[in-house]
Amino acid sequence: MIMIDGLVQRIDKKLQRFDPLWQARRGIGGLRSRYYDKTGVAKYREWRGIRDTLYDYGQWMKNLGSMTAMVASAPIPCLKGFWEYRWMGSYLGTFMFIDRLFEGYRGYELRIAHHNMHAIVQSLTKKIALVLSNDKRLGGGPLSDQMIPYDEVLPPLFLTGFKDLIPIPLQTLPEFIICDIDQQLEPYYIDVAESFGLPADVCSRCAAETGVAIDDAFPIIGKAFITTNMPCNASEATSMFQRRRVGLPDMPVTLAMIHNEPGAHPYSTQMLKDTIAFIEKEYGVTYDWDELFKHAKEMNEQNAIELEKWEFMKTPYCALVGIAESLYRLYSWASVNGQDSYFTKTDRKVLKLITKAYKEKYEPFSGKTRHRAFLWGPSAVYYTDFPTWVENCWGINIVLNMDSTMGYNQINTTDSEEAIKDLALLSEKATMRHHAVGGWENVNAVWEWAKRFNCDMVIFNDNVSCKGMNGVHAMMEEQARDLGFHFVFLEHDLEDCRTVSRRDMRKRISDYMSIVLNEQPLDPTLVDFDDSEAY
Amino acid sequence: MKKVPTFLVKIIKTLLITALAGFAVTFTIYMTNAENKLIYYVIRPLLNKHYNSQVRDRRV
Amino acid sequence: MKDLKHFIYFEDLLRDARNELVARAVEDGKRALGYNCYYIPEALLNLPGCFSSRLRAPGMRSTNIADYYMTTRNCPYVRAILERAMEGGYHYLDALFGAECCAAMERMEEHFFLLRPVKNDRFFVTIIDPPMKGDKTSLDYYKSQLKLKVVDELRDRFGIDVSEDAMREAVRLHNEISQVITEIGNYRKLPNPPITGYEFHVIELVSQVCPHALILPYLKDTLEELKSREPEPKFPFRARVVLAGSEIDDPEFTKLIEMCGAMVVADRYCFGSFPGREQIILQEGESAYDAICRHYLQWNQCARFMDGGKIDQRHEEVRRLAKEYGADGVIYENMKFCEFWSYEKVLASNIFTNEMGIPCCTIEKEYSLGSIEQLRTRFQAFVEALEIKKIPGGDKA
Repeated sequence: MIMIDGLVQRIDKKLQRFDPLWQARRGIGGLRSRYYDKTGVAKYREWRGIRDTLYDYGQWMKNLGSMTAMVASAPIPCLKGFWEYRWMGSYLGTFMFIDRLFEGYRGYELRIAHHNMHAIVQSLTKKIALVLSNDKRLGGGPLSDQMIPYDEVLPPLFLTGFKDLIPIPLQTLPEFIICDIDQQLEPYYIDVAESFGLPADVCSRCAAETGVAIDDAFPIIGKAFITTNMPCNASEATSMFQRRRVGLPDMPVTLAMIHNEPGAHPYSTQMLKDTIAFIEKEYGVTYDWDELFKHAKEMNEQNAIELEKWEFMKTPYCALVGIAESLYRLYSWASVNGQDSYFTKTDRKVLKLITKAYKEKYEPFSGKTRHRAFLWGPSAVYYTDFPTWVENCWGINIVLNMDSTMGYNQINTTDSEEAIKDLALLSEKATMRHHAVGGWENVNAVWEWAKRFNCDMVIFNDNVSCKGMNGVHAMMEEQARDLGFHFVFLEHDLEDCRTVSRRDMRKRISDYMSIVLNEQPLDPTLVDFDDSEAY
Repeated sequence: MKKVPTFLVKIIKTLLITALAGFAVTFTIYMTNAENKLIYYVIRPLLNKHYNSQVRDRRV
Repeated sequence: MKDLKHFIYFEDLLRDARNELVARAVEDGKRALGYNCYYIPEALLNLPGCFSSRLRAPGMRSTNIADYYMTTRNCPYVRAILERAMEGGYHYLDALFGAECCAAMERMEEHFFLLRPVKNDRFFVTIIDPPMKGDKTSLDYYKSQLKLKVVDELRDRFGIDVSEDAMREAVRLHNEISQVITEIGNYRKLPNPPITGYEFHVIELVSQVCPHALILPYLKDTLEELKSREPEPKFPFRARVVLAGSEIDDPEFTKLIEMCGAMVVADRYCFGSFPGREQIILQEGESAYDAICRHYLQWNQCARFMDGGKIDQRHEEVRRLAKEYGADGVIYENMKFCEFWSYEKVLASNIFTNEMGIPCCTIEKEYSLGSIEQLRTRFQAFVEALEIKKIPGGDKA
């Protein structure tokens, strides 16, 4: 073992000049040096030292395996899907996406990040194969009518009580996940919606969903459609278009908007009961509480582990960081929501790694973190690797993202009446909703969260078309000043990279760091570059 | 000491060579970022050309 | 046509939120209750001892302070209201009953308790969570929200009588003023009406911003006057339109459309009479409070309703109005930055044009009437298109 360590060290020393972090430290290059201009295509992959490079290679192989399995399990539907759906073509950008996300990652943070990412990849590839194999547009399949297409922002845990039905978040594949991978895709759908008269100032996420509906690009599955009023106004409005195009009997699950008040929960509870009754009627099935309890236990364990992770995140020795944390939590919470035990297993493994790293007093990113930031407000999905960039360029560790704090209450697993109440509470605190909607106290909670996680900085995602968050602009700025936080409004247009580009977003942070805080970048190659033509 | 049968040695050898060759090929693809270059510069333009020529049933 | 006797007075009443009648009611010890949205039943705010005041910001030019708080990328109506509050225009209010009917509205209403712009010790704000469907679950929630955040607050803070008798009296008053307005509005159905859309807009607005008991005599007078008012010898407009969409509290907007040749024969927008001036009918065995809640949920035409029944209802309602009021087309507007009506406008125009065969012109507007020339061009072009359709074979043009 010692011999191998020695050998590895010798090789690493020989090859360290290829390591972009080493280059950046010496001012002779950096993480951006290996890219072709504009495209986001790297000339070669990042050299991270022999161990980490081989680990990253191994994970690349593993993810490749999942994708091969997806195509092998449904070769014809997958090919048809690529041919039919523009959004399917964008999934080819997945490898570049993963590379972007974990740039500069080493040691524990790299391993944890890949554990989390592979969980997403294996889940997503299975889901794509499943949906395409049963998409009536592509010929359908045996499970077409057993699927329940539902709005992706509605937590699907309560739907798991239908043992023989498969809840499928309808917008996730054509819109919500894919816009993380390919910044060029959603502008096409946004343009489709705008060509029908939709103003350009509405939320671009919902404009894109509307465009997908108008462009007839949703898979055709299921016997009834479950929409929702979550998380916000534009999301409610786009549902009106989607229900027309989907053309199935629909049920809007309109949960309480002002969800912090006691009066809200009985209403939301009744709404879930109404939805269950609707599905029972439309699909001719009976709700099975034991089946729900089985999945609720998975969700409970995941949420319990999440709270344990938070304790580590409060320290400088947490190897679960940045996008590896937030993307996983977002997917496992919003999309999986207790349906896949692979995520519980991943959580257990990751917790073990976090604990081990903590005991070793391991500081991620070689301890170069200068600021601990809480990322608040809905993030730009076309710039998913923003937390990675901000850490590598300026040493700002995004400790936690607003969306990671979604519903973490435990669900009763013995009493159906209590369980449905807990489910209502969980569902009310879903994606972009827990803190962005439902009253001033929710959004103003950021300071308390930032304090709890020992952050000195708050980066406030400023979706230029989000009317709700625009409505708290000055109040947040004044609060930050009074409470002594470094505070940056980060303008973006959620899914439209043309309005505020990734480069513009970087400039905003770089200006703040250099002009206001007078700091120098850790990696000067990252300060300003053009990736406008990248995936 | 018992001699390992020749066919077994052959199999192990073949497996090792295949694995090594497989590693060499895939690691080369990985390090040179070849798959992403192929996707970005060849496949994506072709697919986009196809998608742009599609006639879709656009309506509200 | 001969001027209406009280019309200049009505126009004057619209120049300031704290107009002469509001000031008189406040001096009489009545509680002034502000609200913005139809989701807050006007009838509940007119319980004995209080009066409703639907908030407008007439004459608003610059919204610099509100822009600072809410950015320039937000609804111009809510910014105008916040600006007017910061200017001190609503000190007469005793309460603001808000509704989370949209995010912008809710944020604006929050600033009323965060910044305390209303200098009145009694002043308080509550915000209801209004439902988005028309079913029983939604009605129950609506009732519980209104009880908790309007009725109980009025009783506990101001000692307002919220008994069944008081509720019935509020319903009676609501129905009385609604009956007058509806009768006035019905004249617009005539081929050559003795009232213009602009005049009706002014009359409808005063009924929403003034204490009902004080404005009612003037409205009754106006109704009487209309019975004998001679219309123009010949219908002076080239077309008749339904004006539908989001918030419009500036009658100058209606005037602009009419100056372009289209009479606004029906007003289906926030601050319009559809909905707003329907009779609240008490069903047998139903309390007045329940009837009020049911009525306001049933008639609400807001674009935030998500269920199929309510979506169809709002399109059917415009079709009904177009038919009953003999409209040639519909002008569908949305306030700039309004998420709901931006979407609804696209959906509705598609339904009217392609499914219902009703010509539709869609526009986006600011709160204060701006970009007049662009709007004028749009309206003139629409009027011409409507005229062409009337020519035999013109519908093929």
